[in-house]
Amino acid sequence: MESLYRLYLGVIFGGWGLALISGALADLRVDRHTVQEIHRHGAAGVGLLVAVAVAGGLRSGARGGPLVLEAADVQHVLLAPIDRGAALRGLAVRRLRSSAFVGLVAGVIAGNFAFRRLPGPTAQWLLFGGVFGAAVAVWALAAALIASGRRMHRTAAWLVGVLIVGWSVADLAGRRVSSPASMLGELALWPMHRASDSVGLPAAGLGIVGLAAVLGLAGLGGISLDAAQRRAGLAAQLRFAVTTQDLRAIILLRRQLASELPRRRTWLRLAASDGQHGAVWMRDWRSFLRWPLVRIARVCVLGALAGLALLGAWRGTTPLVLVASLAVMVAAFDAVEPIGQEVDHPTRLALLPVGAREVIRRHLLAPAVLMAGVLLIAVGAAIAAGAPADLVGVLVVMVLPTAGLSLYCAALSVTNDPFAYVLAPAIGYLQTGVPVALLIIGVSGPVILARAAARHGTAAVAASVPSELVVLLICWGLNSWLGHRIASRVTS
Amino acid sequence: MTRTRRRASNEPVLGARRLRRKYDDLIALGPLDLRIEPGELVALVGANGAGKTTLLAIAGGLVEPSDGTLDICGDPAGSLPARARTSFVPDTPVFYQDLSLNEHLEYIARMHGADGWASRASELLEQLGLAQWGDKLPSQFSRGMRQKASLAMGFIRPFSLLLADEPFDGLDPPSRSVLVELLRSASASGAAVIVSTHRAEVADLSDRCIALHDGELVYDGPADRSVIAGHLPPQEDALPAVDQP
Repeated sequence: MESLYRLYLGVIFGGWGLALISGALADLRVDRHTVQEIHRHGAAGVGLLVAVAVAGGLRSGARGGPLVLEAADVQHVLLAPIDRGAALRGLAVRRLRSSAFVGLVAGVIAGNFAFRRLPGPTAQWLLFGGVFGAAVAVWALAAALIASGRRMHRTAAWLVGVLIVGWSVADLAGRRVSSPASMLGELALWPMHRASDSVGLPAAGLGIVGLAAVLGLAGLGGISLDAAQRRAGLAAQLRFAVTTQDLRAIILLRRQLASELPRRRTWLRLAASDGQHGAVWMRDWRSFLRWPLVRIARVCVLGALAGLALLGAWRGTTPLVLVASLAVMVAAFDAVEPIGQEVDHPTRLALLPVGAREVIRRHLLAPAVLMAGVLLIAVGAAIAAGAPADLVGVLVVMVLPTAGLSLYCAALSVTNDPFAYVLAPAIGYLQTGVPVALLIIGVSGPVILARAAARHGTAAVAASVPSELVVLLICWGLNSWLGHRIASRVTS
Repeated sequence: MTRTRRRASNEPVLGARRLRRKYDDLIALGPLDLRIEPGELVALVGANGAGKTTLLAIAGGLVEPSDGTLDICGDPAGSLPARARTSFVPDTPVFYQDLSLNEHLEYIARMHGADGWASRASELLEQLGLAQWGDKLPSQFSRGMRQKASLAMGFIRPFSLLLADEPFDGLDPPSRSVLVELLRSASASGAAVIVSTHRAEVADLSDRCIALHDGELVYDGPADRSVIAGHLPPQEDALPAVDQP
């Protein structure tokens, strides 16, 4: 409950902070051409994001989600001679309610950014943003409830998800609104609707969300007890990990909850070789080559999202630098998996005939190449979306320093000793927050400075270079911090 | 065959002087003086809590002594040269989640500078009955297979000292025979081998027996089944009888 309360406070104060930031930055309003483009593609584009969320819900449901019960409830309530659907309904309704609240807050925050750049009444952007956010959250959760209650096979859930996403892609390509996801997209953009737009489409979208919620609640009784029991144990550990801010444990438990495990067969067989030189490099690539498809897709999507968010920030929606920074950070959490494995198994690390700091230093090379690749995807996505040459130049300059910075920040986050500051939680929060803050500064600083230079007619790329040198200096400092932490954790 | 590294003449492979380890008020080990020479195959016996695992963990560099010293070929346990000479097979196998068994063997062998490890790996996996499992993730293994995989990881690299903590636990009889051969072969090639065990039959393959009780050395001499059995809790193959109603 304490974690949920903190999340609640975080959402409220975070949203308030973002609203203040966006107001202070005085972002530019879009031109008439962009407004026409949004009228043509906007609903289907937003709908595509909705479809991805719903597909994600189906995937989660096919793996036993989204309900998390206490182990005792599985044993004593679900095995009792009572209707399981009735027993689970209260929990499911609470989950729907809390998801709707989180979606509503996220939607209002998005609406707060939208009204500053797009035409339409402010109140409507906030209202429809909130309703849209809540509807998407409810629909995704309802999809998960339907999939778990009906024991949908993973392949079937995947196919239905592909169908839903494909329908939205077809809408986007055909400049029409026919899929339920696009209908919700129409709802999100209703504040800038034209007289010819029909209110029936967004209303139908909301109706489909309501129907999905009813279907999800109606089929709760079919939930798999095996999955419920497994998730109960994992969720209990996850709650404890969240309480202690043990990010590494959170990542591992989340992967287990999502059944996101290393592939049994490697994507590509690398030739074996001899000698200590390059052993860590090869070990790390072998780890990456066992990534499940969903992790590869996530990292690629995060790279593309970072590029598009930086493009959006360059064009005027400054708070999108936060989205870009967080996308890079999440991708880096996956990239530092080999370091996480070493820290998870300190016995192995302690038995190697090489110092722990040196092993970890070697472990940064392959992830650095991987992150550089992710950031090149970001550059590619920005170019594909029409980024100007100035921004492309800035992004290219950013690739290596940002790859390094994100790795150090992620490595510091996953090597946190969760119990080091149990008695001084303020220091613990600082320890958790500093890497994230540094990455936000490292990603946003160069882009904002270069954008300011471009607006004043000076060379944007040249303006970003000094800030990248500062990023490299930060990396140097973080390298020492990481080495110190690894040495202290392995010897302790 | 396992290669061993050069060491200075007259240095024991393992030398402990006034070695002691305390956990708060509890003395888990010592004070202990010990000297183990190359080629010795030593059975380390004692009941639960006798201090066997603590001694092996100190020798492996995983735990620091509270007092005294423990050197491996003249270097303090846990130092880089000592780690290069010591192979430790823990009682609970430790695996990375993201590597197959073959990938584990390659990583460990290469980190220890073992050349030509691939043929040795094939040989070990064949001996241990894991030849078909090299490309699998250890998370898919049964308990016995995990133990065998852990043994393969211990034998894949060069060492002067092998520390095996309850290595026979979880193994089926054919695998136990293979392990006996591996231990004898390591000893014959000049490495010192210390096997912590609850099994009296380990006496048959050992040159020497060291018995601990409540952290203290209570016997150090020739290995003999009756002597070893005397320092172990009673062993019974059958389960305790249950009264019938």
